[in-house]
Amino acid sequence: MTDFMTGAAQIFTLATLAYMLAGSVAGIVAAAIPGFTVTMAIVLTLPLTFTMEPLQGIAVMLSVYVGGYTGGLISAALLGIPGTPSSVATTFDAFPMARNGEPGRALSIGVWASFFGTVISTIVLIFAAPPLALFAVRLGPWEYFSLIVFALTIVASLVGTSAMRGILAGLIGLAISTVGTDPIMGRPRFDFGIEMLQAGLPFLVVLIGIFAISQLVSEVENADSVRSGNALVTGAIDFQTWTVMKEVLMRPVNLLRSSIVGVLIGALPGAGGSIANLVAYDQAKRGSKNSDKFGTGEPDGIVASEAGNSATAGGGLIPLIGLGIPGSAVDAILMASLMVHGVSVGPRLIMDHGDLVYGMFIAMVVASFMMLIVSICSMRMFLRVTEVPKWLIVPVVMTCCVVGTFALNNRVTDLYLLIFIGITGYTLRALGYALAPLVLGVILGPIAETNLRRALMTDEDPTLFFTRPISLIFLIAAFVSIVWAIRSHLKNRTSTERPSHAPTS
Amino acid sequence: MNGHDPMKAQEAGLVARLLSYVFLLLASIALFISASGIATSRFEKLGAGAFPKIIFGAMAIVSAIAIIDALRQIPRHAYGDFAAQAVAWAKRCYLVFVCLGALTAYLLVIPVLGFSIASLIFLFVLQVILMPRTPKSIALAAVVAVVFSFGLNWLFAEVFTVFLPRGVL
Repeated sequence: MTDFMTGAAQIFTLATLAYMLAGSVAGIVAAAIPGFTVTMAIVLTLPLTFTMEPLQGIAVMLSVYVGGYTGGLISAALLGIPGTPSSVATTFDAFPMARNGEPGRALSIGVWASFFGTVISTIVLIFAAPPLALFAVRLGPWEYFSLIVFALTIVASLVGTSAMRGILAGLIGLAISTVGTDPIMGRPRFDFGIEMLQAGLPFLVVLIGIFAISQLVSEVENADSVRSGNALVTGAIDFQTWTVMKEVLMRPVNLLRSSIVGVLIGALPGAGGSIANLVAYDQAKRGSKNSDKFGTGEPDGIVASEAGNSATAGGGLIPLIGLGIPGSAVDAILMASLMVHGVSVGPRLIMDHGDLVYGMFIAMVVASFMMLIVSICSMRMFLRVTEVPKWLIVPVVMTCCVVGTFALNNRVTDLYLLIFIGITGYTLRALGYALAPLVLGVILGPIAETNLRRALMTDEDPTLFFTRPISLIFLIAAFVSIVWAIRSHLKNRTSTERPSHAPTS
Repeated sequence: MNGHDPMKAQEAGLVARLLSYVFLLLASIALFISASGIATSRFEKLGAGAFPKIIFGAMAIVSAIAIIDALRQIPRHAYGDFAAQAVAWAKRCYLVFVCLGALTAYLLVIPVLGFSIASLIFLFVLQVILMPRTPKSIALAAVVAVVFSFGLNWLFAEVFTVFLPRGVL
């Protein structure tokens, strides 16, 4: 209790709260720019916290973290471009809802779902950090590989209008992930002697090219619509704050399930918001009575994705606090920041620096409230984006994508990759390939390969994938998931034949 | 659009997808063979080529199934109409090619002209191409071009200490 009060006393000072507010705004703005991730925003914040007290510095970085997960929602909903990898699934329903004339409602649902997701994950973090951390660290490469196999079955619900092209897109994503040196022995693969391919295709460049460039270019397909000065999104600029809060709370099962998915995935080292939002979306779609409406502006889809990715913020802190293992890149930076201040991170953290740990819990809750306040106050301004005509927004966002791509590694060659991947992305989009499975393949490919090979290097016996209980559970879940997907696909096929919307057709 | 037949366009779309499946099949076979040539260390059961072989093998199988499925669906006359329909589609979506061309040129000249000047030209020219041209909108485009070229460069250099390409000129 003394530790709790000491932590609270450090957080509730005017200076800390002011810094946290600035961090929250910075996180939201940075993540709203395509190509700028939460990780990059936190890296840029790190040097600014060196002069602060350890808890003050961590609290500011947590504000950027929580704000960043919400910021990705803005470009996902208004432009159809995920601001960060964690908001890929948000584009599936938030963008159609915004396009259907309800941009304010789409953003509001996302903000509230993010808020509740963060709060739920913090509550879980407080009560379950030690046992969950112990579970996460017991997983070996067999369990990780089986988990990824399960995660890959999500492709089945992201395939769009054609299962065949969806699976092919997932395989293209996995193939992209094999370019460059192999993750175990560092042997060169598929670089065709081109220097920029030797390090592999940077994931963010693929994400920006596939989603952002192809989306922006497809906006100008209809010349008459562009020339008439039409805006990207039309509709009421109405945030409907309290009505939407009730609407989100009226979906308790989805909210809770998505948050728990986010916490569990966040707690696994190596996984994070980029996987959690897709898994939470998939689970919500499977569990919904209106699964056929997902992808057309279904509120449940936005709630699932945003609650899922925001809940990883709390989940990622579980192994960090419990064991000193960072759950994601962002957690690694948080850990580095603690170490800069001379705090050793490990199982003894909660015993040696109880005030710091409780202070982090309090900071998470305060950061989520700040994110909510900043979002509610600033959304009206962000919603002005909807009034900007396409002829202006397309070139401007393209320039932001170029800046985001370059700033990632300060490499001009990444810009050449961007145009190549952008053209490929538009071609696939025009041919009616779903792009989400491709991105999922790029994310999961290296994790799957590393763990498969590591498992067989540790023990050559392949039956271990089936005899280790947790691994078996994941594989059974993957099998059930595939059977379920085939069943619902066949059901949909017999009940209604949906026309293809490919631009070529 | 003028003379646009949705049915024929849909059939042309099916042919275009068939071509994409054929491309994927050929590419996956070639890459499967290439992956077989990657040496395996004696310390590991699965070499660097094993995982790519699984992926390209699966891709070849799925593409082959997709080709068979597509061949069943496409009517014979669709192949003859394909070239004309493809040209008609390209004409309808000419702004797509303009945008991609402008972006390619922009990215290629960034190392030469530097971020600020290249962005200024790209932003202004592309906006003028896309916009309904009035004195007011042209003036707005000029302001936007300056803000998002020199302004962004200043913001990144001064605030984030990220230096965008300066060019050789």
